Amino acid sequence: MEFQASLALVAPELVLSLSGLALLLAAAWGGDKASRLISILAVAALVGAGFLAAPALCNGASGPDTLAFGGQVKVDAFAAFAKLLIYLAAAASLIVAPAFFERVKAMRAEYPVLVLFAAMGMGIMVSAADLVTLYIGLELNSLAAYVLAAFLRTDERSAEAGLKYFVLGALASGFLLYGMSLTYGFAGTTSFAGIHAALAGDMSKGALFGLVFVLSGLAFKISAAPFHMWTPDVYEGAPTPVTTFFASAPKVAAMALTMRVVVDAFGAQVQAWQQIVMIVALVSIVVGALGAIGQDNIKRLMAYSSINNVGFILIGLAAATQQGASAMLVYLAIYVAMTIGGFVAILMLKDANGEPVEQIAQIAGLSSHRKVLAVCLAMIMFSLAGIPPLFGFWGKFLVFQAAVQAGMVPLAAIGIAASVIGAFYYLKVVKVMYFDEPANVAVGKSDWAHQALLAICAIFISPLGYLLTGWLGGMADKAAAALYFVG
Amino acid sequence: MTEFFQSWGLPYEWAWGIATVAGILLIALPLMLAVAMVIYAERRMWAAFALRRGPNVVGPFGLLQSFADGLKVMLQETIIPSAANKGIFLIAPIITFTVALMAWAVIPFNSGAVLADINVGLLYVLAISSLGVYGVVMAGWASNSKYPFFSAMRAAAQMISYEVSIGFILICVVLWAGTFNMNEIVKAQQGALFGVLNGFAFIPLLFPMWVLFLISSMAETARTPFDLTEAESELVAGYQTEYSSMAFALYWLGEYANVLLMCTLNAVLFWGGWLPPVDWAPLYLVPGVVWLLLKTFVFFFIFAWVKATVPRFRYDQLMRLGWKIFLPLSLIFVVLVSGWLMFTRYGVAA
Amino acid sequence: MIQTLAFYIFASLVIASAVMVIMSRNPVHSVLWLIVAFFNAAGLMVLVGAEFIAMLLVIVYVGAVAVLFLFVVMMLDIDFAELRAGFVKNFPLGLAIALVLLAEMVMGLGAYKAGGMQLGTPDGTAAAAVGASNIKAIGALLYSKYLFLFESAGIILLVAMIGAIVLTHRQRGDTRGQVISRQVARRPEEATVNTQPEVGKGVQL
Repeated sequence: MEFQASLALVAPELVLSLSGLALLLAAAWGGDKASRLISILAVAALVGAGFLAAPALCNGASGPDTLAFGGQVKVDAFAAFAKLLIYLAAAASLIVAPAFFERVKAMRAEYPVLVLFAAMGMGIMVSAADLVTLYIGLELNSLAAYVLAAFLRTDERSAEAGLKYFVLGALASGFLLYGMSLTYGFAGTTSFAGIHAALAGDMSKGALFGLVFVLSGLAFKISAAPFHMWTPDVYEGAPTPVTTFFASAPKVAAMALTMRVVVDAFGAQVQAWQQIVMIVALVSIVVGALGAIGQDNIKRLMAYSSINNVGFILIGLAAATQQGASAMLVYLAIYVAMTIGGFVAILMLKDANGEPVEQIAQIAGLSSHRKVLAVCLAMIMFSLAGIPPLFGFWGKFLVFQAAVQAGMVPLAAIGIAASVIGAFYYLKVVKVMYFDEPANVAVGKSDWAHQALLAICAIFISPLGYLLTGWLGGMADKAAAALYFVG
Repeated sequence: MTEFFQSWGLPYEWAWGIATVAGILLIALPLMLAVAMVIYAERRMWAAFALRRGPNVVGPFGLLQSFADGLKVMLQETIIPSAANKGIFLIAPIITFTVALMAWAVIPFNSGAVLADINVGLLYVLAISSLGVYGVVMAGWASNSKYPFFSAMRAAAQMISYEVSIGFILICVVLWAGTFNMNEIVKAQQGALFGVLNGFAFIPLLFPMWVLFLISSMAETARTPFDLTEAESELVAGYQTEYSSMAFALYWLGEYANVLLMCTLNAVLFWGGWLPPVDWAPLYLVPGVVWLLLKTFVFFFIFAWVKATVPRFRYDQLMRLGWKIFLPLSLIFVVLVSGWLMFTRYGVAA
Repeated sequence: MIQTLAFYIFASLVIASAVMVIMSRNPVHSVLWLIVAFFNAAGLMVLVGAEFIAMLLVIVYVGAVAVLFLFVVMMLDIDFAELRAGFVKNFPLGLAIALVLLAEMVMGLGAYKAGGMQLGTPDGTAAAAVGASNIKAIGALLYSKYLFLFESAGIILLVAMIGAIVLTHRQRGDTRGQVISRQVARRPEEATVNTQPEVGKGVQL
């Protein structure tokens, strides 16, 4: 019976893996001609998995009933919240992909399959309650991601991005494994609950080393400074739909995983990791803000923007309270919408031949010929900067509020100051679009799927989004309560 | 055997050591003799297939031909090419030869007559046979010559490819026998079909696996029709091109020891090893080792038969057969066999 | 006595060949020494009674991974001078990493010696049934307690395989593949024609 209950708990993963296998067979027989159909089916699978994951969130599931396979997997409301975000982001990257790849005749049926498996890996990551589960989920996601980054294999930049991501990702996995082995050595168990119990009280130097290594490995995956070096290159080189994916889903997964690790496994040593997280958060904010200033490629700019945003999200973690966790989750949800919207808008920037436009100078005066697109992009930029009427502000506000209530006024103050610096480069993009001499480069037409997605994201981040604050906040509170559930 | 030497009043360690060395000699020396004899036998068989006479001059019926050949190579000069990587060039044949002998340690010659009766016997065989490729690859590289290098690359790819499906085939056997221990595998074959016939190959589900295993074992030992590593018309003599004298002889001995090993494995894993073919009490009066040798020789005959009659594969055909036919087929059978056993032996609910 | 002797032989060989891996000038020699190291490590595994792990080590690492390694290294054209230049340049970094590792090792050993640490204390769930062999114990664990992780690891391998194929497989239009079924189904009547050409006329093909 216990086995069947476990299987029921991991139903989303089962759906994803089985449909991934079935679609792989379909891809083998149908060939690349079938890739549009396979993409649609993959989106359907993600939606199905989402429906299976949702009840746990609505019920606010927590406690021993959510443990599957002898405590290796924890399918609580927190995991469900992260999973829903991940599935949404994965589905978005599937929807935008065919139009992009078909233009260069590189749409292959394996793309949706790889995205499905990556989503499955991320689902395992966020529901990890054991170091081994953590690593398996992380590697499943990472391996798929390396391949996706190099998916345009005839494009040198894409191949370079894949290789860079692979080499640095392997290094990060090494860090993580080293930290995990140290933690295991000092705790005598790999389960988060066991580590929590074993390390209660005074923490030995060795276990601290383990914690630092684990956090370093995770910081790489969320591209927090000082482990961010790969981000701009990979974001720029990878095909844009893949970048959309990288910037949204794995961020959510790795961030949720980080929360899970520090709260579940190292919850007894808040003092030990709080400082690390604080420093990482501040460095990320500053590096993201300063690094973005000199960029002239909009994808690189978005990369630095994501580093910057990760810093803000980490402030919520540094607060080390349930409220902070809830704020992080709300921020993550808004961030996913902003990122997907941003990259979809970038995908829609095409010249007359349909070639993608990525240089910021080339979108000068966009407002004169692509009015709606320019408005949406400007909204996304303002929202990323956290300028009040837009929804992006709400996330930042909640995070800072949590930090202040946890007594970290200086941290919040520095964060707010840095966000003002960060606003500069976002505004620069808006200025180029609206006030510069029209370059008339980005004039290409775009797919209806892109337009629809962009519209949804834009509405979500517009002031209309505030209508959702109660609902979103409620869900995030349930998830955070599940994360902090003790018993 | 250890007890026997202990009864002479030796301490345990000494007795164990002597017993092990004695066991090794007891296997290796007859094996070398057998290799010499099967080389002769095979040449006679090929000759018969081709309506020739074959070796018939040295000794009665030419029986001593192999020994004469051995003497000849031993007296030759060992030539080392000046551009060769000397150390590896000389180690390579030794590795091939040693590895060919090592696998015999777990072969059961009779009930309990095994040098090393280990739990993971079959895995040991797999591990050792996967080492065989090094002798060839090292020879090809160290010769610093074009054809041996091509041959080495071919050998490495070929052996790895076929080891994959051999692994899956052996999984089927292990599933049915429920053990990796070679002796237990033989015992599990007693009355495999209706309690009458001894041997897994009599079971309809495992018979196709035996056919695959037979063909794969030819590919694994690089025998015709899969002898692309030493295809004369393309690669002179493959990785052996630069070898002469004893180094060359070691390759020969190793190759035939491997062929004999594969024949024995066919007998042990699929045809009941030292059990008589039919589970009928009077047949057990014949010593087990006789049955094993008989079966082995039947397979050796099949090997020679195939070598004399089947033309060589092309390289892409070889790879296609290994990866696109044998691998999926053996995988399907792993599923079938485990499903069948789950259904009949262990019960679905388990 | 034999065990102790065997242990020291295996252990010293592992270390010696590991040293040779990094000391050899020829990368092929390095790989060969690596194989020796793997092999002796397998010997150590046998000594501690983990014969299954030992065999897997040989089958997987020696039999497959190292062969591919050797394959690649043999075909590479490696510039030794450049390699050594890189060595000097990266030496400080390597030294730093080595020092960190050394510090960790000292710390771990110190903590271990100091006692009070329960290094991988068995909680009873992982204990093998009495009398069960190594393989049975591992199999029972993998397929019951760690089933989910085991299957997920399988998916990881599948993804790696898909990745390798996606990134390297290309359909070449200019080659003709072999269709065995068509080849076998071909009859003499389709392939051969009997004609009786008139003298000096030749054959129309």
